Amino acid sequence: MNSLIPPELRAPLRGLRLVARHGAGGDGLGQHASRSRGAGLEFAQYRAYEPGDELRRIDWKLYARSDRYFVREAERDSPLTAWAIVDASASMRQADAARPDLRKLDAAKTLAACLFELALRQGDRFGLLALAGAAPAFVHAAAGPRQRDRCTLALARLAAAGRWPDAAMLAPLWERIQPPAVVLVLSDFFDDAAAELALRLAAARREVLTVQLLGADERDFPFAGGHRFRDPESGAERRVDAAAVRRDYLERFGAARVELARRFGAAGVRHVEYVLDRPLDEPLRALFAAGTANARGPGRAA
Amino acid sequence: MSIALLAPLGLAALAALALPLLIHLVRRLELTTTEFAALRWISERVRPQRRLRFERPWLLLLRLALLALLALLLARPVWQGDAPVARPWIVVAPGVALADARAAAGAVDAEWHWLAPRFPHVDETVAVTDIPIASLLRELDAQLPAGAALTVVVPEQLAGLDGERPRLARAVDWRIVPGRMRETASPSTDRIRVAVRYARDAEASLRYLRAAVAAWNQDEPGRYELDAQPAEVPVADATNRLVWLAPPAAALTRWLDRGGVALVVNDGEADGEPLWRDAGGRVLAKIANGGNGRRIALSGALTATDLPLLLDADFPQRLRAAFGGATPAPTLAPAATMRPRVDTGMAAASAHLPASIRPLDAWLALLIAALFLLERFMATRSRAENAA
Repeated sequence: MNSLIPPELRAPLRGLRLVARHGAGGDGLGQHASRSRGAGLEFAQYRAYEPGDELRRIDWKLYARSDRYFVREAERDSPLTAWAIVDASASMRQADAARPDLRKLDAAKTLAACLFELALRQGDRFGLLALAGAAPAFVHAAAGPRQRDRCTLALARLAAAGRWPDAAMLAPLWERIQPPAVVLVLSDFFDDAAAELALRLAAARREVLTVQLLGADERDFPFAGGHRFRDPESGAERRVDAAAVRRDYLERFGAARVELARRFGAAGVRHVEYVLDRPLDEPLRALFAAGTANARGPGRAA
Repeated sequence: MSIALLAPLGLAALAALALPLLIHLVRRLELTTTEFAALRWISERVRPQRRLRFERPWLLLLRLALLALLALLLARPVWQGDAPVARPWIVVAPGVALADARAAAGAVDAEWHWLAPRFPHVDETVAVTDIPIASLLRELDAQLPAGAALTVVVPEQLAGLDGERPRLARAVDWRIVPGRMRETASPSTDRIRVAVRYARDAEASLRYLRAAVAAWNQDEPGRYELDAQPAEVPVADATNRLVWLAPPAAALTRWLDRGGVALVVNDGEADGEPLWRDAGGRVLAKIANGGNGRRIALSGALTATDLPLLLDADFPQRLRAAFGGATPAPTLAPAATMRPRVDTGMAAASAHLPASIRPLDAWLALLIAALFLLERFMATRSRAENAA
C-alpha cells in the first residue's frame, strides 16, 4: 500500500507510539493528554461549582462530606498535531559509495512516512513541510487515511535540490505549525539554519524531535588518495589528500556532532542521530518507543 | 673495449621517455570527484600531495627501458673491441727462400705470411711475379692492429715499388736477405707504328722524324717503326701514331674520330693547351682533344725555322711524351734504400682507430623484442587483474 515504508519496518512500527511530552491543546477526541480540562478519564482537580456547570459533573460524594458543590474536572484527551519537516536541500542527495541508491532524503522520506503512519493509527492530525528541494511541498495538517495519502504523494514527489531557505521564506511556517505540536525535523543539520529553526521551534513551545541523517562515508571518511570533494549545495570544491585530512576531519566532524547534540539537549529537543548503514527502526525506537523519556508516565504511555 | 655510437643524435629520441612518465603520472594526479555534503569539516590546509607518484612502477620502468633501448638502437651502437692480442706479423716477400727468412727473422712466435695479395700464409705457395710490394706494404700497415709489430723480410733487390719510399704508420723491422725479385714485366712490349703522311713540300721534315724514331729505338730497341708515305696513301689499321704533314684531309679526321693521336702542322688557329713554347714564350704547339682522339697542332711547319726546338737534343723525348709514351717510373730498387719511413701523422691517426668494430643492432633488436613481449605481458596481466 505504502511503498515508502519497507515491510520490515511495519512490525517495529506496531510497538511504537507518538506521545507528546507536553499536553496537547487541541479540541476533540484523541489519545493525548490535554491541558484543557474537561470530561476525561484522568483526574485533574476539583473546583467550586459555578452556575452553568453540568449537574452530572458535580462530585456528590464530596458534597456529602463537605456540604459544598465541587465539580470534578478531568484532563481531556485530545488529538495531537504531528509535523514532519523534511530538509530537501541538495546535501540530502548524499548517499554512501557502498549503497548509492539509498540517499539521505530517501531515509528521511521513510521516517516521515513512519511518523504519518503512527499519527494515523492514533487518529492524530499530521502535516508535511518540505523545505528547499526542486518542488517544496506543504501539506496542511489534517487527519485520516486520505491525509496520509496526500502526504505520501508529496513525499514521493520530493527531490533534493537547492539550499536551505532563508528566514524570510520560513516566516509562514510559524503560522502553520501552531503550538502545541510535535515537530519531527529530518535533516543532516549541516546547514546551521536548520538547527536554528529546530531550536526556535523548541523555544516557541513546539515539541521538537530531530533526526540527524548522516552517511556512513561522512562518519567514517573511508577515502584514500587525492580527492576533489564537492559540496552539492554551494558547489564549492576542496582538493585534498584524503588520507592526510582524515584524522582532522573525523575530529572536527565528531566535535560538530557532539556540539549539535548538546545544543539540542540544552533546548529540550529530543535528538537522534541516524547513519544510513543502520536499520531504520533504530531512530524510530529511540524517539517513539513506549517507556522512553518522552512518555509522561508508564500508565499514560501504555 | 667500449661502446661507441655511430649516430649519437639518435639519443635525442630519449626525449620520448617523457611519454610513459606522463602517462603514469597523469593517472596518479587525477582526483576522484566526490560529492560530499560535510565539506565544511574537511580541512583546507592539507592540499593533495604533490609528491611525484607513479602508478605501476615496474611497468613504468619496463617501458622506460624499452624506449631507452629504442633510442639506443637509433643511435646505432657499436662494440669497439681492443686489438686482439697483437701477435707480431712477419711477412716475407715472394722470391725469398723461407729458410733464409726464418734465419733472418729468428724463431719468433709470429704470424708468417707472404707479402702477396691477400697475404696468404707461408704454407701456401704464391706466384712470384707482379707483386706490388709498396702497395701491399701500405695495405698491410692499414689492416694490422695498431700495436702489432711488423717484420718484413725482403730480398736485396726489390721490385714492384712505386715512386717513393713507402711511408707507413708503424716502424717496420726491415730484414734484408740475399736474393732478388724478378722484375715486373715491362708494361708493354708491343711494337709501335708511327705513320707519317706528307705533302710534297714537307718532305724535308721527314728527316727530323726519322731521327726522333731512331732515338726512341735506342732506348727501346726495335719497338718503334716508321711508316712514311705520301698523303694519298691510306693509313694502315695497325698504326699507333700519326704525323700529318699535309693540309687537313678526310683521312686525318677519320683517324682522330677513331681515337688516334695525330700531330698536324700549320694549324696556328687551333684551340688547346700550350704544349711547347719557344724561348720568347710564343706558343709553338698546342694539344687538344680532337674528335675522339688527341691532336697536337704545330703553329708552323715541322722545320727548324718554325720549330727551333726541333734541333734540341731532347726533342725525341718531348715528342714521345707528347704522344703519350713517357718512360715509366723505375720499380726496381735495392732493398736497403727502400726501408719504409714512419709517418708520424699517419701513426697518430691510426692510433685512434679502433681495432675492431662490431655493430650491436641485432642483439639490441632482440633485447627490445623480448622487453616488448614482457611489457605486453605485464600490461595485459595487470589489466586482467584490475578487471577481475
